[in-house]
Formats: sequence, structure tokens, C-alpha cells
Amino acid sequence: MVATPTDTSDKETRPPDRPCFTARGVRRGAIEIAPLAVFVMPFGIAFGGAAAAKGVPASIALLMSGGMFAGASQFAALDLWRAPLPLAMLALTVLAVNARHILLGAALAPWFLRVPLARRLSALLFLSDPNFAQAMAARERGELDAGILFGSGLAMWFVWLTGTAIGAYGGAYLGDLARFGFDAVMVSYFAAVVLGQWKGRSDLLPWIAAAAVALLGSWLLPPGWHIIAGGLAGGVAGAWRHGR
Amino acid sequence: MVDDVAAVGAVLVLALVTIATRLAGVWIMSYVQITARIEAFLKHMATSVFIAIVVPAAVNGAPRIGLAVAAAAIAMIASRSALTAMLIGTAVAAAAKSFGL
Repeated sequence: MVATPTDTSDKETRPPDRPCFTARGVRRGAIEIAPLAVFVMPFGIAFGGAAAAKGVPASIALLMSGGMFAGASQFAALDLWRAPLPLAMLALTVLAVNARHILLGAALAPWFLRVPLARRLSALLFLSDPNFAQAMAARERGELDAGILFGSGLAMWFVWLTGTAIGAYGGAYLGDLARFGFDAVMVSYFAAVVLGQWKGRSDLLPWIAAAAVALLGSWLLPPGWHIIAGGLAGGVAGAWRHGR
Repeated sequence: MVDDVAAVGAVLVLALVTIATRLAGVWIMSYVQITARIEAFLKHMATSVFIAIVVPAAVNGAPRIGLAVAAAAIAMIASRSALTAMLIGTAVAAAAKSFGL
């Protein structure tokens, strides 16, 4: 492992022959993800706008986007954002929404475990669904440079922060954002994400279990816990189905 | 109104939780094999969390939220684009709001 982000001068022309992490890979990742990253902007604006609609200060919305960089979980956290902050519930909900990252990481393991630790960790910091998909497609083509995940992630992170800033600061001037339907952005997006996950009839039981338990929970449990209950119910039903 | 210090602290905790999920997969795989059953659990749980947010919101919320979800669902099935579905759901909610729903 001699390749570092700085010693690319004499290796610039030669493609890597084993897992590595180079500045060239970082640059390539950022360029390759650009057409996708453009579509992150409206979601960032929507998140900033939704945060403003909830009365969350722009600085907090930006801190969320910068630190978490995981849109779905940020919307979910926004849904639970009230005084006093339900910290345990927020953490559990964010964990449940982002648990899929564990799967993405597991899929990258055969490749990334052969990259030096510090660079492996820094690339994984920017792991998200779009750049995971891009990196796996690149791996299929023989890509070995883990830098592409870092570069694509960093590019999307900048777009995500910019979008959030536009929505969060612009939102304050727009007044009641329900007029623009911003209070429905989150549920609309989630509904679309769920339907995009449909793989066939084997999903039906877990989905019904999640919906039924969540709906019952929303009437019977303290606020917010229905999300955890529904998520676990769907997960257990899915795992149980899998064993048959 | 949420206290600023509490808000910053909470966001930092949420950021750490998210970072942990990003690092955990590769880390766990350096010790154990993720079985097909564990994989099925994680996959379905991720989707189910969204279901658990959307369904009660659509049922218990204002009518415009339910309309937006229905419109987004139809748009998603027709277009296969989450962005299109989100924009259509939002537009429907805005239109419904102007009709007082």
C-alpha cells in the first residue's frame, strides 16, 4: 500500500492494481457523481424549508445536514423535533432509519477492508445510497480506488449543505410554508421511497405488519414510539418470511 | 421553542449515531458473517421505518397530507422517480391548502 492522496505524481497514468485510495480516485468520484448530485439540491432545499416551517433555526438545520448527511433520517428527526427534545427516541429513530448503512458497508467490506484504516474510515464517513450505488457499479467494472466513494460523497455533501442553506434561510422569508405544501414534502418523499423498494409479493406481509403496528402505536403509544414499533415489526416480519 | 444548547447537543448525538451506522458494516464484516436472515431484517426494517412514519401521518393528519401521500404514491408508480413524486405530493398539498383542506 504505497498510494497516498498526495503521491500521485508519477502514478497518475497507471491504474491501480489493488484496493487503494488516491487523490485521483477522489476527483473521479466527484466528477462521476455530479449528474446525480444535482438532484440532491431540491431535497436539500426541501429539508431546509421543512426545518424552517417547523421553526428550527437555520444554524441547527445546517448542523444537521453537515453532521448527519442522511436526508431521510434528518426528516424523521425533524418530525420528532419539539421541546423538550425526546433524545432517546430521536437517537433510536435515526438509528433505525440509517441502519441500512450497515448493509451498504457490509457490501463494501471485501474491497474496503484492504484499504488502510484511516482512509477507509474517511471514505465511509460520506457513505450514502447514491454514491454506494455508484461505487458498486464502478467495482463491477474493476474499480479498486476507494477514493471514488470519498470524492462522490464529498461532492454530494456540499450540494446537500448548499440546498439546506437555501431552504433554511429562504424559508424564513416565505412565511407559512404549508401554503407551498412543505409540510407534505417529507411524507410524499417517504411514500415514494417505500414504493421504490417494492420487490414483489413477499414484501406485502412485512409492509402490512409495519403499517398496522405503527398505526395502532400512534393511538396507543407515547408520541414517536410508533415509528420504532412499526420498524421493528416490519423487520421481524421480513426476517421471519425469509426463513420460510 | 427548543433550547439551543439542547438542540446542538442532540444534533451531535444524532450525527454520531449516523456515523456509527456508516462505519459499522465494514467493521462488523471484519468479525462476522451477516446471514441472509439478518440482511432481510435490516432491509425490511429500513423500509418499515418509512411506512411507520407515512401511514399514521396520512391517516391521523390533515386531509391534505393524505391527499399528498396518495398523489406521491401514484406519481411514484407512474414515473419511478422519487423526486417527481415528492414534487407532485407537495404541489397537491399546496393546492389542497388553498382549498382549506
